[in-house]
Amino acid sequence: MDAADNKKHSPETEVKRTEQNEGLIHEIMRENLQLDQEIKTLEAELCSDAREFQIKENVPERNLKFTTVKSLEDGDRFLNSSCSFQVSSQIAYELQKGQALITFEKEEVAQNVIEMGKHVVQMEKAPVKVTAHLVPLNIGVKFQVHVNISKMKINVTGIPDELPEEQTRDKLELSFCKSKNGGGEVESVDYDKKSGSAVVTFVEAGVADRILKKKDYPLNMNPKCYRVTVTPFIERRLEKYQVFSAISKRTVLLTGLEGIWMDEETVEDLISIHFQRKNNGGGEVDAVKCSLDQPYVAYFEE
Amino acid sequence: MSVTLQDVLCSLQEEQSRLKMKLQELQQQKRELSSPKEKIPFPVPEVPLAFQGRTQQGRQVPKFLVSNLEICCPLPGGSALVTFDDPKVADQLLQQKEHKIDLEECWLRVQIQPLELPVVTNIQVSSQPDSHRVLVSGFPSGLQLSEEELLDKLEIFFGKAKNGGGDVEAREMLQGTVMLGFADEKVAQNLCQIGQFRVPLGRQHVPLRVSPYVSGEIQEAKIKFQQALHSVLVTNIPDILDAPELHDILSIHFQKPTRGGGEVEALTVVPSGQQGLAVFTSSSS
Repeated sequence: MDAADNKKHSPETEVKRTEQNEGLIHEIMRENLQLDQEIKTLEAELCSDAREFQIKENVPERNLKFTTVKSLEDGDRFLNSSCSFQVSSQIAYELQKGQALITFEKEEVAQNVIEMGKHVVQMEKAPVKVTAHLVPLNIGVKFQVHVNISKMKINVTGIPDELPEEQTRDKLELSFCKSKNGGGEVESVDYDKKSGSAVVTFVEAGVADRILKKKDYPLNMNPKCYRVTVTPFIERRLEKYQVFSAISKRTVLLTGLEGIWMDEETVEDLISIHFQRKNNGGGEVDAVKCSLDQPYVAYFEE
Repeated sequence: MSVTLQDVLCSLQEEQSRLKMKLQELQQQKRELSSPKEKIPFPVPEVPLAFQGRTQQGRQVPKFLVSNLEICCPLPGGSALVTFDDPKVADQLLQQKEHKIDLEECWLRVQIQPLELPVVTNIQVSSQPDSHRVLVSGFPSGLQLSEEELLDKLEIFFGKAKNGGGDVEAREMLQGTVMLGFADEKVAQNLCQIGQFRVPLGRQHVPLRVSPYVSGEIQEAKIKFQQALHSVLVTNIPDILDAPELHDILSIHFQKPTRGGGEVEALTVVPSGQQGLAVFTSSSS
């Protein structure tokens, strides 16, 4: 509607119009507000993304298999149980309909196929023109994670701050060496008054495990007795963190296979036959995959 | 009145189309950023990969691959770790804490307990450019140096002020590159600015590149204790037999179904006064 048109109307319709318009204005204002909100969240997201990127990964549960028992020379002791593993980005290319990937045994062959660019592959009914490209791959990361869980130390939290520092320390030592509560001889107590937490180190291995069977432990502050929270003492380490740019030296992307009414396997065979020939610029082929009906995710590995 | 309303309406509609444009722009940006490619403002080392035939349909692709999982668990002295073919045997044995092992004229009273293995179930890592660290790259293939030798040579070169270097606090061999961490971040920044160095490695001077390093930090690692399914830990074994003898007796005992045992896959005795470290690895992949 436009304003000039509007003026011609009688006062009654005018009022109606006004009401309608007011409704419309509210509606648009509401929508705009919503858009504004969305923009703000997106902006915040992009901003934090630019500074750092986060990896959140669930480590899939797997079957653990006993491998070996290592032993140590006398005197040395194993003080931790540990868990370590390697994490690396899965580098993949999303193969679209009408595209194929071909991996050659030799890098030079792949480079040559890309340099030649256009290739004519003989299919059942007619020759098909395909173009060879570099495969665009992403940047990835890989790193090693080492987690140590102490057999000698435990973390204690929720320690009430009501006695002087030195006295609280002693109360901790006294409580944690009581064998009737599962404790054992204490080597040292590292008490942090500010956070109400402490690290208790035992002389014997096994005490920590025993105490950690329960979530809390009685701390006797005479006359009052508190229950403090006990958790494993854990050290975490990240090693060999590296960002890398994946490049494909042996694999070539072929495009131009749209509208072929054959099954994928046959087309793969024909592509393989074509590019195996030296006089087509090819060489020994390691793997071929083509997509005609549906996209695939193709993994790139070392 | 109606004219002003019209005006308001118009300006609101204009506002809306402006907002919609902006939203689309940002969504486009987000799509472009969904790979970390654009987030790192400098070149990173290349790793050659090839397609080897592994494909998957559908879009739910795990972004990361976890491999080389290894879990270690200390075993106390006077214990034995028994691993069975059938996890049910281990499970059955764990129903009873106390256990008797027959000898010729007497028996050994021992305890049986599960082995709890710490498993990381979730990990969060953040990463950002590190002002103290640099990445050294451009090593020729066929360098006749061991990892330690190479790191030493680099630390010596980049530790010298006349080369623009300073005190090296951390060093790590990566895949075809080396990370060096400096006590003073000014040193690291200076080296990155210079960028190119000729470094003596063995008999030759090798041109190397120094660039910024992105470092990672564990934000969170969730740990769960998972029972080893096939194994039991026999503890409090009286110290009256030597290890080989004890090994034989335990093997025979836990092999017998009449004693609650079954096919034993592995059995290791940790003699009194010593310690063992049981190593478990992931059986898949």
